[in-house]
Amino acid sequence: MEIVVAVKPVPEAETRLRPDASHASLDPEGVKFVLAGYDESAVEQALLLKESTVGSRVRVLSFGPAPRTEEVLRAAVALGCDSATWVEHPSDLLPDAVLSARCIATAIAGPFSGLVLCGRQSGDEEGGIFAGALGALLKVPSLGYATNLRWKEPRGQLTLQRSIEGGLEEVESSLPLVVGLQQAWNDPRTAKLPNILKSRKAAIEKIPWEATVATLGPHAIPGTVRRTFRLPPPRTGAKMIRYDSPQDAAAQLVRLLREEAKVFP
Amino acid sequence: MPDFGLSEEQRSLQELARKFARTEMAPRAAECDRLGRFPEEVMRKAWELGLMNLNIPTEYGGSGLGLVDQCVIVEELAHACAGMTTSVIANCLALEPILLGGTPEQKQSVLTPFCSSYHLASFCLTEPGGGSDAGALQTRATRDGDHYVLDGEKCFITNGPHASLYTVFATTDPELRHKSICAFYLPRDTEGVTVGREEEKMGHRASSTSTVRFEKARIPVANRLGAEGDGFSIAMRTLDQTRTPIGALATGIAQAALDHASAYALKRHTFGKPISEHQAIQIKLANMAQDVHASRLLTWNAAWEIDHGRKGTLESSIAKCFASDAAMRVADEAIQVFGGYGYMKEYPVEKLLRDAKLAQIYEGSNEIQRIVIARELLRRYA
Repeated sequence: MEIVVAVKPVPEAETRLRPDASHASLDPEGVKFVLAGYDESAVEQALLLKESTVGSRVRVLSFGPAPRTEEVLRAAVALGCDSATWVEHPSDLLPDAVLSARCIATAIAGPFSGLVLCGRQSGDEEGGIFAGALGALLKVPSLGYATNLRWKEPRGQLTLQRSIEGGLEEVESSLPLVVGLQQAWNDPRTAKLPNILKSRKAAIEKIPWEATVATLGPHAIPGTVRRTFRLPPPRTGAKMIRYDSPQDAAAQLVRLLREEAKVFP
Repeated sequence: MPDFGLSEEQRSLQELARKFARTEMAPRAAECDRLGRFPEEVMRKAWELGLMNLNIPTEYGGSGLGLVDQCVIVEELAHACAGMTTSVIANCLALEPILLGGTPEQKQSVLTPFCSSYHLASFCLTEPGGGSDAGALQTRATRDGDHYVLDGEKCFITNGPHASLYTVFATTDPELRHKSICAFYLPRDTEGVTVGREEEKMGHRASSTSTVRFEKARIPVANRLGAEGDGFSIAMRTLDQTRTPIGALATGIAQAALDHASAYALKRHTFGKPISEHQAIQIKLANMAQDVHASRLLTWNAAWEIDHGRKGTLESSIAKCFASDAAMRVADEAIQVFGGYGYMKEYPVEKLLRDAKLAQIYEGSNEIQRIVIARELLRRYA
């Protein structure tokens, strides 16, 4: 049984982001791209399922430009994924979620096993579209906001939990299925040093952009086009209170709330 | 000329070490320092992730890393806690004599268990009566049939109380000094081996240090590394390998001091502006940055020389000596930037000064390093 995970390289949370000269995209200079958040949970979930089933494997796929995509795939291999496929695109292309889903669907179309995992949204653009789009393209059901996937005996069925408004629901599904995973629930593992070293030498299957375009046809590209990318305006309005004692600080705060912010008379 | 950039592989190792340092070591550093607690759980986790035994070749199950790789990792670990780092890398020091002097069978039987499960080893060279003058060591090894009988005491032994294996240097005849020193390895549970109480130290308080005593401890001749009299050379060649990572450890302490001082300088206000806008503070930070940068480059350069098959004696002594002296200067200035707060244990910088001090002393004091540097230097002019 092959479990497929689709991941996206996203900027590390601590990175300072800047728009590039076109003001439509992020300047990648000095940005470290990583496997993060939702995708880390998806990879961890895939590995847990693999470990609970003898003879299963995990194949990781990613659609993106060099060099970040290869790095993220190697990180996934270091964590325990058995094979990796890089669906390449040119660095100046800004794919939307549907195009990403189309390209990934093309790559997994061959030996599709029936279970595809991904983050319920990407860590950077947070669209939340990919899992649904991929399910539609593969003509299989899809579920988001999922945690705790388990095989149900006899094989071929899964149970999982979904966070819904005000509670948790338990869902049972047959395969094939696309699942978008929640983040921060399964404590993703850290890659071990020998596995990191091995992952540097792992073979990564690469599907060139031309091959993807040939399959999809040129009309598919691009779908939506991002016109501008701006940082949020710098925050203003904070006022520091300089004080001599806690009593003084409280008195000044009350005066400011009353006279300037006018939150009470 | 060397390439000063790190490879993608080295960057991934750096990332692993940084993540481990931040999530596992740093949160416990202050507590372990205060209590003098050896964090066994951190050590085990470091082993699980493959951050221990970095120098053991892959054929025995180790990582088989080069010295530049090791230095990249050690710097990241030491940024979080130098004491824990010393304990994490103590196996590299203790097992290096086996790598250098062991037969293939000895290597297989001793090194493999360290890679297949968590064990600690200690390097036992220094004695109460002498550290730098290793040729004068007094621990006696007396031949008795197919055994040696070991008598003597070793001190300042890192991980002494937790190790299951000791590599020990002893003499068959103190009169002959260097020429009579032998290297051995023996399990801790050998009869006649006793571990002394844990030392209370100024810094490196998360690392565990003790004396180890040998009283009529019998070691099979098969546990001798190399021939009789090879011990001194094995000890010195071991230190040639492990000196450079001490430069990396010192660089990690200095980088931590610079990071803390810079962040604090941007936040702390005096005379109506952040102290980072006062030139008096800027000059301090600039000097600290120079020390950190030079330490790192000297360390990487020494490691690179050794990775490329050269002895690197001059370079590794310069790196260890410069980086540890620099770490003292940088930690000292970091405290000054913090002012009164820097002197308080509640803030992280006073620990850095206490930790840096050891780097000037252990694995060859900086006075010994300067003797080595001068000897290597003058040879080129003679």
